[in-house]
Amino acid sequence: MRFRIYRFDPDRDSKPRWQEYELDLHANDRMVLDALVRLKEQDDSIAFRRSCREGVCGSDGMNINGLNALACITPLAGISEPVTLAPLPSFPVIRDLIVDMTQFFAHYDAIKPYLVNEEPPPERERLQSPAERQRLDGLYECILCACCTSFCPSAWWNPEKFLGPAALLQARRFIVDSRDRAAPQRLEFLDDVYKLFRCRTIMNCTQVCPKGLNPAHAIERIKIDLLRHSS
Amino acid sequence: MTDSQAVKRGTARPVFLDFARIRFPVGAIASIAHRVSGVVLVAALPFAVFLLGRSLEGEEAFSAVLGSARSIPGRVVLLVVAWACAQHLFSGIRHLLMDVGIGSSLNAGRASAYAVLVAAALVSVGVLVL
Amino acid sequence: MRLFTGQSAFVAQRISALLLLACVAVVALRLAIGPSPTFAQWRAWAGQPLGGAVVLVLAGALFMHAWIGARDVLIDYVKPFALRLAVMTFVAAGLCVLAAWTAVIVATHAL
Repeated sequence: MRFRIYRFDPDRDSKPRWQEYELDLHANDRMVLDALVRLKEQDDSIAFRRSCREGVCGSDGMNINGLNALACITPLAGISEPVTLAPLPSFPVIRDLIVDMTQFFAHYDAIKPYLVNEEPPPERERLQSPAERQRLDGLYECILCACCTSFCPSAWWNPEKFLGPAALLQARRFIVDSRDRAAPQRLEFLDDVYKLFRCRTIMNCTQVCPKGLNPAHAIERIKIDLLRHSS
Repeated sequence: MTDSQAVKRGTARPVFLDFARIRFPVGAIASIAHRVSGVVLVAALPFAVFLLGRSLEGEEAFSAVLGSARSIPGRVVLLVVAWACAQHLFSGIRHLLMDVGIGSSLNAGRASAYAVLVAAALVSVGVLVL
Repeated sequence: MRLFTGQSAFVAQRISALLLLACVAVVALRLAIGPSPTFAQWRAWAGQPLGGAVVLVLAGALFMHAWIGARDVLIDYVKPFALRLAVMTFVAAGLCVLAAWTAVIVATHAL
């Protein structure tokens, strides 16, 4: 199987380049990550992040044949060749397929990704009914892989000011959590030309989310909540 | 290497944004069509206001406005403006529906994106033919 | 232009869109059903106070919608602050001029 991989070594290259590889696959090479590990046996200098190899840690998000995906759960069967592997778009490239996630996590931090509740804690848990817990479905499962935010054109044009689909999805996760008491402040924080409203509902985020989440819809819901809140 | 070292060395980190190598889902195509058609319409506004004025001036001017739409350059302009109107209108309706939650799922969003692009193309050709 | 921050721009764009949508639907229906309007019919309708007022309200919605849309595009693509301010001022001024021109056209033909 033929591969074309984005290569950039800051110590050697002045600009990025594409490098072609040929790999004989074994019977148990099923995912793109398996191929990458074997390619590294061929060429030790290829650099990429990986950890759980089962699609839950979010480390190996990358652009595969033009679409963002997790390498460990992208099957090799039926994939078009040459398999083109590139780093997540618009994020600064540290080396090869490894990108700088600082801005991404800064946006996540900005939405206060923790429960805000000044009420004295009960003896055990802060209770939640099954219905209240169900409101978190489709929001809590995010693994912060950045496939969505790095594929969002609005994030490409305004990376520092637009929070991006991942951070906004997490903002909604906390807005709808019945145990949180800061929903009005969370909404007010987002009511700004850039943070939330750069979203044009392009839906690239939902298209590429490896966990099947729908950030575009979550953002729509935040906009409606803002409307309800101000009127 | 830290960021400050890279900056001192003059090698800022590159970014991958090669549009030739990035695949754009149909939703993205519909979205850029919405934006491009919007820009075309804004550019056409002075022209539209001018035509409004002319069409109210008198019988001859009114007929002249309608007649110019039949000339060759007139038909090209008509096609472009008709496409811009139809595209912006249909994708606008798609956005308004998504605002109230209709068609927000991935499959519905994709289907409506295709529908909008095809409908706009058909309407603009239709306007030309009629 | 602190007038349109975040949510208010979003809402204004949606409301003007709905207004324009209603107008387009009515116009399309009118052109589809019945004969093409003659100059006399068009002039008569636009000339009377109600018709003229409708044209003005729709023009207002159109220019507002156009401004919010244009502003979004400029915010996305024009990064240097001074340049963006200059271009936005130019576009806003242009739209105001067109709105005034439309008002003049309607006024002269309504009299």
